[in-house]
Amino acid sequence: MTMLADMLAAMTSPATGGKVPQGAGLMMLVPALTLLGVVLCTLCAIFRVKNKLPAWISVGCLVGSFVAVAATYAGFDGGAKIAHGFEWITFHWSDAPVSGGKASFVANFSFYIDSLTLLWMLFVTGLATLIALYASEYMSHDVGTGYCRFFVAFCLFVFSMACLVMGDNMLLLYLGWEGVGLCSYLLIGYFYKKPSAVAAAKKAFIMNRIGDLGLALGIMLTFVHFGSIEYTVIFEKAKPYLAAMSEGRYGDIPTMVKVIPLLLMVGAFGKSAQLPLYVWLPDAMEGPTPVSALIHAATMVTAGVYLIARTYPLFLLSEWALPIVAWVGTLTAFLAATIGMAQFDIKRIMAYSTVSQLGYMFAGLGVLASTGAAFHVFTHAFFKAMLFLSCGAVMHGFAGQLDLRKLSGVAFMKGWGIVGIAMFVGCLNLAGFPFTAGYFSKDMILAEAFTTPGMAGIGWVLLLTAGLTAYYTFRVFFRVFVGPKYYEPGDEVHAHADHGHDSHGHDGHAKDSHGHGEHAGDHAGGHGGGHGGGHEFHPHAPGWAINSVLAILTVATIAAAGAYFLKPADGGHGGWVGGMVHSSSAAFESPFAHHGAEGGAEGGANGGAGQAQGHAGGLPSAFRTGEAGHGGTFLGWDPHKVMYYVSAVVGAVGILAAFVLHYAGRTTAARSRADGLLPMVGGVSRLAQRKWLVDELYDALVRKPLWVLSNVFHLIDKLVVDGLVDLAGFIPRAVGGSIRPAQSGVLHGYALGMAGGLALFLVIVLLVTFA
Amino acid sequence: MCALGAVGVCLALPRRGLTPQVIGAAVAGLAAGVVVLALTLKNPEHRPNVYFYIFAAVALGSAVRVITHPKPVYAALYFILTIIASAGLYLVLSAEFMAFALIIVYAGAILITYLFVIMLASQSASEETDKGEEEYDISAREPIAASVVGFLLLATLTAFAFRGASELPGSVAATSGLDKHPLSVGVVERETLILGDMPRRVEQELRRAGLLQAGDKVVVSEDGAADIDLAGRTIGVIRSGGVTERVEIPSGFMPKNVESVGFNLLRDHPGSIEIAGVVLLMAMLGAVVLSRKQVELDEELKKQQSRRLAGEPGEGGAA
Amino acid sequence: MMWLLAQAGHPAAMHEATLAHYLFVAVAMFVIGVIGFLTRRNLIVMFLCTELMFLAAGIAAIAFGRFWLDYTGQSLVIFVVTVAAAEAAMALALVVLLFRKRETLSAEAWQELKG
Repeated sequence: MTMLADMLAAMTSPATGGKVPQGAGLMMLVPALTLLGVVLCTLCAIFRVKNKLPAWISVGCLVGSFVAVAATYAGFDGGAKIAHGFEWITFHWSDAPVSGGKASFVANFSFYIDSLTLLWMLFVTGLATLIALYASEYMSHDVGTGYCRFFVAFCLFVFSMACLVMGDNMLLLYLGWEGVGLCSYLLIGYFYKKPSAVAAAKKAFIMNRIGDLGLALGIMLTFVHFGSIEYTVIFEKAKPYLAAMSEGRYGDIPTMVKVIPLLLMVGAFGKSAQLPLYVWLPDAMEGPTPVSALIHAATMVTAGVYLIARTYPLFLLSEWALPIVAWVGTLTAFLAATIGMAQFDIKRIMAYSTVSQLGYMFAGLGVLASTGAAFHVFTHAFFKAMLFLSCGAVMHGFAGQLDLRKLSGVAFMKGWGIVGIAMFVGCLNLAGFPFTAGYFSKDMILAEAFTTPGMAGIGWVLLLTAGLTAYYTFRVFFRVFVGPKYYEPGDEVHAHADHGHDSHGHDGHAKDSHGHGEHAGDHAGGHGGGHGGGHEFHPHAPGWAINSVLAILTVATIAAAGAYFLKPADGGHGGWVGGMVHSSSAAFESPFAHHGAEGGAEGGANGGAGQAQGHAGGLPSAFRTGEAGHGGTFLGWDPHKVMYYVSAVVGAVGILAAFVLHYAGRTTAARSRADGLLPMVGGVSRLAQRKWLVDELYDALVRKPLWVLSNVFHLIDKLVVDGLVDLAGFIPRAVGGSIRPAQSGVLHGYALGMAGGLALFLVIVLLVTFA
Repeated sequence: MCALGAVGVCLALPRRGLTPQVIGAAVAGLAAGVVVLALTLKNPEHRPNVYFYIFAAVALGSAVRVITHPKPVYAALYFILTIIASAGLYLVLSAEFMAFALIIVYAGAILITYLFVIMLASQSASEETDKGEEEYDISAREPIAASVVGFLLLATLTAFAFRGASELPGSVAATSGLDKHPLSVGVVERETLILGDMPRRVEQELRRAGLLQAGDKVVVSEDGAADIDLAGRTIGVIRSGGVTERVEIPSGFMPKNVESVGFNLLRDHPGSIEIAGVVLLMAMLGAVVLSRKQVELDEELKKQQSRRLAGEPGEGGAA
Repeated sequence: MMWLLAQAGHPAAMHEATLAHYLFVAVAMFVIGVIGFLTRRNLIVMFLCTELMFLAAGIAAIAFGRFWLDYTGQSLVIFVVTVAAAEAAMALALVVLLFRKRETLSAEAWQELKG
């Protein structure tokens, strides 16, 4: 509580060293409120509260946080501000001046608030609030048992995410990093009695740890080289290097500085599920759906993107860092898309789509489209959360059924209308249908990929992936939400089965609108049969909480598209998000930030060319194609203009394919025309369905050797270490045992011993004295 | 070292399995004799006289018999023989008092006690065995080990004795008397002074030597000592006429062994005498206390036992 | 006594044994006592052997006393015999008690200190 008081004092007190301007202090409320939520929910757990109180507490705290963030944003006037909390860690071991000298280590609990931070915190807190509300109903089955635990971890997660995003030094970022990892573990393993859930939680945590190693090393190297881990100091000190870079003098940059981003990106890959550390994310679907929505779609997995965006200046200093990031992201996107095409569990498909879209974001960062990447993060957060929440509603209503071969026509069932609409909007965004938010954000990245010289290959792969994305997204939609109504209950049928409902209705007239309008959902066709006599399963339509959240999210997703068109305050381009990004470190003195991210409406050919000419010399060598002074093109056209149409076409192709294969002519839930293709692509499809055996590869390469090693050590411990200890015990016993027969108890034995000893002694004396 | 080796080889004592006795005894005796011979050869001018050999042989022989005889009574009797032989050795060594004291006390008291106890213990225990011998008496325990140890001891101690033999003063040649003894310088005075403490004895000696007639007395000083002048070797004498005279100390002017021992005991070791007395008292009391503890047999067994004890001669007679 | 015989001109007194001879006899008797103690199992005979050792010590003491012309040796033997007597009394009393306990004179009946 004293910490809270300190923070409040810091907020209201005059500026400490001129660092607490108006408005930024409100951000202190975010960690304060979330911690308060943690404490209160823990108290609920201790007192075994049996109602939904923890949920309301969490929602309240999170709403408060969101309001604080929004207020700060409203009053924000650009630049970077530091909101100082309290002095957390300060080591000072030499008399050199504190700041700038290497003789001290300062890590304060302060927040670095700039526009990038606000961008992130807006959607983090907003989504957290909405999802908390959603979870209040979704987790209602567990009221009294795990409910409080869930919300404790939930609030703790938001707190950690706040530290991560807002921290002004890398140590606070690392704290938040580990915190979100911990909460992810706690929440994935929420159903701790399920072995698969526990295994998934462990897997997530361990893979994160592997990435964290890179991050930790990067932070250490940063301290070694720059003498501080505070962003302000680092950016200050990196200025000469950036100057050297913009003039193309990469040789003047020390190697250590170039190594830092390589290490940091390892951490980002671990947290954001890129190759090769992505395998935990699909398994993380074992957690409850709100968890999947918040953590593994919208917030935690974007932490890696945030890291790279925040330390973008450092990434620019290395010739290889950004290209590596780009290629890793691209390959991940493609691989995940192919796997997603062959899965049957809709949540898994969404998980793979998350991995894939994260790959897009990394690719965006790598091709110097930091704006595009940030925008994609922003929009993806909304529509992916919505997609997950819709799948969750389905799961919640159909007792855990997630197999798309066993569900069909859900959107037309009574009470499922809003879910259907939400799903539809989300799928449109994911597929990149024109004029959706997802369309614009993906488009920015694609355009940039073709513009930046040398990254055209990335662009083509990303384009192909976009088509695959559209296909598998609408595969889900066409199989599960439209078509003949059919359902089978899942494995979590409750004991109190609802009264029977005849569910096997084959309806011929079950075609429905798809595609055009956004108000397509209708509640028509209550086709269910009458009430049967038996205790059959009855789907549980979502309640008000779920429906309202989904509705809000739908609206927000649609509105997010508009952000593209808002002009930023500083007259830059890229929409509102662009404005947010440009005034942050993600665009820190980078000449490329203004390069090529032309808004669609503005002609940018001359600007693009001119600017490209201006700084083509400063591009990392991997970006060069030898075409000095000319940006990349897409088959001869200017990418920015053309990309709209190209991606729209690709998306449409994917949707059409899904329509043909999975909707048209489908009469049952289980089979569709796609199954007819199986003989042709069966092998590949099966392999894709088994996730390209990556997990098995890891198992053989990493896990099995470790098991062998641990068995070896176990043997060593048992034989050698324990053996030594046992020997230490054995020796006295053996010695005693060997001497014991001397104590025969018979008088003569002792006498013999005495006489013999005397004789021996005399012999020795004789030898000594007379020899 | 060669002496040690010679002794070691010679003393290959045979097994005391208590069965092939005679051979063992013969070999042992032979070995002992060889040793003694070796001793003698070392100092050829000091050959021991025959009495030494006799007594030594008897002592050792009966000692061997003590430890090898299966019947404890016989062992005790052989021990008595050993005592007598030792007394003889004492005599050869001019310790007459000790010799007879040994016989009286040791053989006459201690060993009789032993015999009593042996008979007491054997009586009630060995009724069943017809041979009258206990199993534990027949077979020796670890004879080899005991023999080895004993031989080692013997070897080392004898080696010490041999080595030291050449350094110690040789025997006193009886013919030359004490004058030639290297230690004899002070001894004579000591011995003479002992006698001096006993004026009547001095008179007795002088009378024996014919230097004193009846009625003569020896000059006695205030503390009861005779007036003996060691330097001039004269004794003050008062003749019957009252004339003081100095007569020469006769040859052979020596106290008896008893007197010497007595003087030594009381003058030099008075405390030990007292303690010895206390020790004896303690022993006596202890023995009384210990043997008071009776094992209570019940009436039936007591009757049986007494009947048995009484009826044995009758049984023996009837059979 | 020897000098008496010497004075009398007895030929047997012509030669005397050296100390070593007597010591040998003493040592031999002592060792015989040791062997007997280690060998016999009868308690009383074991004590008898200890008496044998006492005797041997006495011989040695007398011999030394003779050769150092000091009567302390004989005094020592007086004490030794005294103590031997006392000890013999105690020992025999104890033996009688032990015998009553186990009805046997074997030393091997008492093995309760076995390790």
